[in-house]
Amino acid sequence: MGRILIVDDTLFMRTLLKNILFSGGHTIVGEAGDGDEAIAKYQELKPDLVTMDVVMPKVNGIEALKGIKTFDPNAKVVMCTAVGQEQMVKLAIKTGAKGYIVKPFQAPKVLEEIKNVLGS
Amino acid sequence: MSELDAYRSLYIAESRENHENIVKNLLVLESESSPEAIAEIFRAAHSLKGMSASMDFKGMERLCHAMEDVFQEIRNGKMAVTHTLMDTLLSASDTIETMLDDIEAGGPGIPDELDDRVDDLKRWIGHEEGVVPGGVPGPAPEHAIDMGIQDVAAPAIDMAGSSRYCISLCLNESCDNRNLRAMILLQNLEELGRLEKVTPDRSIVEDGDFDGRFTVEMVSDAGIDAIKTVTSSSDVKEAAIQDLQSPSSSPAVIKKATSPPVEKDEGKKPGLKSEKVEKGREVKNIRVDITRLDVMMNLVEDLVINRGRITEIAREHQMKDLDETLNMIGRSVSDLQNLMMNIRMIPLTHIFNRFPRTVRDIANREGKEVDFIIEGGDTELDRSVMDGLNDPLMHLIRNAIDHGIERPDIRVSAGKPRKGTLLLSARRDRDNVIITIQDDGQGINAERVRKKAIERGLVSAEEAGGLSREEVTDFLFRPGFSTADAITDISGRGVGLDVVRTTLEALKGTIKVESTEGAGSKFELLLPPTMAIVTVMMVRINGRRCAIPVHNVVEVASLEEECIHMIGGHETILLRNEVLPLDRLDDMFGNSPRTDILVVLQHQNRKRSIAVDLIEGQQEVVIKPLSTVVGTCRGVSGVTIPGDGEVVPVLDVNAIIKET
Repeated sequence: MGRILIVDDTLFMRTLLKNILFSGGHTIVGEAGDGDEAIAKYQELKPDLVTMDVVMPKVNGIEALKGIKTFDPNAKVVMCTAVGQEQMVKLAIKTGAKGYIVKPFQAPKVLEEIKNVLGS
Repeated sequence: MSELDAYRSLYIAESRENHENIVKNLLVLESESSPEAIAEIFRAAHSLKGMSASMDFKGMERLCHAMEDVFQEIRNGKMAVTHTLMDTLLSASDTIETMLDDIEAGGPGIPDELDDRVDDLKRWIGHEEGVVPGGVPGPAPEHAIDMGIQDVAAPAIDMAGSSRYCISLCLNESCDNRNLRAMILLQNLEELGRLEKVTPDRSIVEDGDFDGRFTVEMVSDAGIDAIKTVTSSSDVKEAAIQDLQSPSSSPAVIKKATSPPVEKDEGKKPGLKSEKVEKGREVKNIRVDITRLDVMMNLVEDLVINRGRITEIAREHQMKDLDETLNMIGRSVSDLQNLMMNIRMIPLTHIFNRFPRTVRDIANREGKEVDFIIEGGDTELDRSVMDGLNDPLMHLIRNAIDHGIERPDIRVSAGKPRKGTLLLSARRDRDNVIITIQDDGQGINAERVRKKAIERGLVSAEEAGGLSREEVTDFLFRPGFSTADAITDISGRGVGLDVVRTTLEALKGTIKVESTEGAGSKFELLLPPTMAIVTVMMVRINGRRCAIPVHNVVEVASLEEECIHMIGGHETILLRNEVLPLDRLDDMFGNSPRTDILVVLQHQNRKRSIAVDLIEGQQEVVIKPLSTVVGTCRGVSGVTIPGDGEVVPVLDVNAIIKET
């Protein structure tokens, strides 16, 4: 079970994801609403894994991923993707994202992916 | 109740924020090209889409998806924001609002016009490339990812002692975005060694043009177990790993159950296991249902009343020991009261944000050009006051554009700038919030108002001649009065400023207008920041107590019998050369033998005076509405219960002045 940082610009999505992750026994160490906050919280909290939304205000998910990877090349970041974001997620994977979960979230799939990435 | 219903209110609240954001930025975009606004709309539409998909609101998901697609094109510079496109986008955002209303009311959010709106948006996509409307899905163009990121370089690995492997992988049919999964697998393998060959070609796999099967030839010194770990994803149906340097070895095949493993925990519902939560330093804000705040406010009000009651009892029984404790309680209750007030305060931007859209639409329809300026949106008001404020403000803004600001040609010929200016501003002034709506239009034509007032029989021709400009403009606030000669779609239906005034009075506010012909009008709204607690003057009439809101009291004077004159069968008083009607309120409180104090009351521009026995002082009280059992009582706006527990009526000054 991991210590997870949730990054999404909507409280709604964060809450949804948080409840799924709780149900899988994970600990949510923090939440961030944009890329800048994500990078700052990553450095502060050093979570085991980050779930990263792609489209966010100010600094987007890809830039935040780059920032986090610069700080910690081994960071485990799982991208949250939706229909129509494939190109962005491809870019994220090339930048070093370790996994992806697809919106709308299905709890079992999310937990499976988190487990895989944490175990890798 | 479905599992998702628990998220409905959060969904609504956040979706409304996103919708407002879309509208706000659309209007920015209409006046200037702003990459920030485009990015913001794209993001908001995207968030809305994602949330809607999660809630299974398919209609909203479709509409937002279409909007997102349009903004993708705009963002990529493939489409310009034209006036017609803006109309399409604004209609779509209107539909979003309609859908949110429906969803909030428990509906699915699928209005009749939804299909049309989605089609309208889709028609724009590929507009310039002649793509058939509706034929949207397909991989987004490559430039979408042109963000200047280079592929991560393959790790340099010392190849001494490494083996060559052939890895055949087959992905599950149920896997979402198989190309992404394949990319991750390839990337993870790449971290273990050098990929020599990928079949089909890596770019084909990345684009998703494969059947879920692909083969990798690689050189690695990490060992077969590491490769097995990397390839054991739930999305991998089958993995065969062969060590090519030991020909005898048969491929290690990892097979998985054909049905996706997803099903196994289907029974698990996301539930809150708070004991596992590390109390987050991160959570600084919470959302609270407003009805809970209302209940809390009522409790605080009861506490305020009972604190007063206890203080009275302690005084009656001269219980000195209680004093200190009571002081402490008093302080805590005051703090609590102030805190509750603050919690209920919300910035005016909440309603101000809706107006730019209204201004834009009306101005377009009326063929007018308007520069709309909002100032002081951060001024805070109690939610209960704010709730009632939207309609009056909307009306005044409509009026300003419809009747105030002239058409560009007329403005130019009058030597004014082509574009009219409409200023909506708010500020805190001591105990009040002042909201101003000011335009630089044609102003109020006093002669026209005077003529209309005579026509409507509100005043005789002789009387009208003697009225001041201020008195004439006051006719505008009379029921059924409208000077608009042509009844437009927007205002001038005769339901007008009288409704605005009545609504504001219900909020314990006032409205006044200043207008200069040819130069514009200025409407000033004076509002209490909160309705719950009001400062009143406690008076006694015929021995009975009565509370008068202090904002209605102009002054207190002694009542000199010789100054009372009868004019038209009604008592009036001459106070410093001002003639004021005098009311005894006998019918409310009974005839009092010793009324020698005069209280001058004011409502709008009209003054009256009442006679009272005694002034007890000023007090901050909580005004409770009359119980439904009592019903409405003329002249009384509510009751209050001061410290001694007596129920005291609060005088409805507005009604008293209006009636007479």
